Amino acid sequence: MEIGPIWRTMLRNKSSYVLIALQIAVTMALMVNAIAIIQERTRLMGRPTGIDEDNIFTFNSTGFDPNMDFQALVAEDLDAIRNHPGIDNAVMTNSLPIRNGGWGQQFQTEPGTDVESVGTGIYFVDEHGVDTFGVDLIAGRNFTSTEINWFDPESDDMWPSVVIVSAALAESLFPDISYDEAVGKTAYVNSVEPITIVGIVKTLQASWPSWEHIENASLVPQKRGATSARYVVRTEAGYRDEVIPQIEKMLAESYKGRIIRNSKTMTEVRNDAYASDSAMIKLLFFVVSVLIAITSLGIVGLASFSVTRRTKQIGTRRALGATRPAILRYFLLENFLISSVGVATGAILAVGLNMWMVQTFNLTPLAWYMIPSAMLVLWLVGQLAVYGPARRASFVSPAIATRTV
Amino acid sequence: MLNMKDISKVYRTESVETHALRDFSLHVEEGEFVSVTGPSGSGKTTFLNVAGLLEESSSGIYELDGRDVSSLNDNERSRLRNEKIGFIFQSFNLIPELDIFDNVDVPLRYRGFGNAERKKRIERVIDIVGLGSRIKHLPSQLSGGQQQRVAIARALAGEPRFLLADEPTGNLDSEMAESVMQLLESINAEGTTIVMVTHEPNLAQRARRNIYVRDGQLEEAVPDLQVAAAL
Repeated sequence: MEIGPIWRTMLRNKSSYVLIALQIAVTMALMVNAIAIIQERTRLMGRPTGIDEDNIFTFNSTGFDPNMDFQALVAEDLDAIRNHPGIDNAVMTNSLPIRNGGWGQQFQTEPGTDVESVGTGIYFVDEHGVDTFGVDLIAGRNFTSTEINWFDPESDDMWPSVVIVSAALAESLFPDISYDEAVGKTAYVNSVEPITIVGIVKTLQASWPSWEHIENASLVPQKRGATSARYVVRTEAGYRDEVIPQIEKMLAESYKGRIIRNSKTMTEVRNDAYASDSAMIKLLFFVVSVLIAITSLGIVGLASFSVTRRTKQIGTRRALGATRPAILRYFLLENFLISSVGVATGAILAVGLNMWMVQTFNLTPLAWYMIPSAMLVLWLVGQLAVYGPARRASFVSPAIATRTV
Repeated sequence: MLNMKDISKVYRTESVETHALRDFSLHVEEGEFVSVTGPSGSGKTTFLNVAGLLEESSSGIYELDGRDVSSLNDNERSRLRNEKIGFIFQSFNLIPELDIFDNVDVPLRYRGFGNAERKKRIERVIDIVGLGSRIKHLPSQLSGGQQQRVAIARALAGEPRFLLADEPTGNLDSEMAESVMQLLESINAEGTTIVMVTHEPNLAQRARRNIYVRDGQLEEAVPDLQVAAAL
């Protein structure tokens, strides 16, 4: 191996090698952290909402008829939807997971104003809510029809007396017991109003995708509204796209004093929720690809220049006994050494940049395998980039050595 | 040592065919010091390239040290060059970024010698050429004569049977040329076969045998080298 002479040659001719090594280092630092951000975003985007996303859609029914009997209309609508072919269940609610808009509330385990509380997203549903959302009830029970009431702003009883919470919320409220033991426990809303936990669902996300406590969500047995209703419909598998226009048409025709609008599948809700994350991932992929491409071109350029500049030297080496593979190996090894300096510097830069980003943007620290993986990738990119010029060098004729011009 | 029979070398382009060597036959005994002269474009360098396995002949038989080298592939030719042949070039062909030690080391690495063996050989040949005190110098820190001495050391380090010198004093003043010639003579005196291409009749005369090349063909035993060189 010619590591020693190659290294000494590089040290005597530093500038171009240092520039390429720096380019590799910067590429590595940016690539590692960009991929870490991509991983983080992908992980956030991949979290399950807990509901049957593939078969759920939602729409609004907004009345404009001043004589409309809203509560009766909702009952008729839900009855019609639930009896439509291809429909599994339906419910009127206020929002959906990751819809970027919903109802938030603080729950606490003791009554009082100075008691520590836990935030939760709230979905107002009836006894069909659990089935329509498709959430997994892992402890306790569903609501009964007798527990469902219309919200009465005149009443003193603002909140129903029972609630179904996500396992994550149960664990946040009662960290010293397992989530299933939270069934039957009392929490307090609005500081003093008691509510009894009657059921636990495995996963149910709140409406705000960027909220750090997104896994804290509750189903509350109550119907709310005066003129506008949001319906959530769960179809039988494979029927969703087919029944959406049918349901819209059916409801629009059943009562002319309202409009049906804002139909969205849960897939569209998810896409909307993470549109900026998705765009950022694409942008970062593009930036990383461009960086790698520019670095590769830099390596190709340096190697090509080096081969051209050293043609006579290569011919001399061939005359002195270097085989073609030996010349190829020389340039690959030279690139490996440059890349090694680059990735070693890049590793330090990457960790430093990540520490700053963790502190500043609350990102997750780099996974242990990111640095070695990036080093391998950049070594490989370097070797691939230099292969063409190195192969060209290996075909330099040894007879070049005897040419005087 | 070197036996060429009816060697031809033809360079072809789309429109031109150049016969650089025609039916070139030469036998060099082991231990000989042969000078090769001839006018520019006569085929001296082509002969050197073919003899040194830097280029393949178009036809003919070439035996080096008793081995037919005509059918060897590129790797085999490279290894044979490395083991049997030492090269001395007119413009020294030292690698400017490497110091003297590393320059002499180049062919030894291709031979696959271990560190200790290489170091021993390098120090020995650098002592022979009288540059022991300059071992860490770069070529640019040496005079032309010293650089050619380094090139000679590099050629000798592998203990070749056969030295090919291409105008070894062509870039040197007369004093340095004389010193290099003395060095080559002493190397030849120790048994190494030398074939030297030169333009200078007075240097050619110092070889034991002189051959003259014209139009790619051999004219041996040139009677008047001064005249021949002028042709």
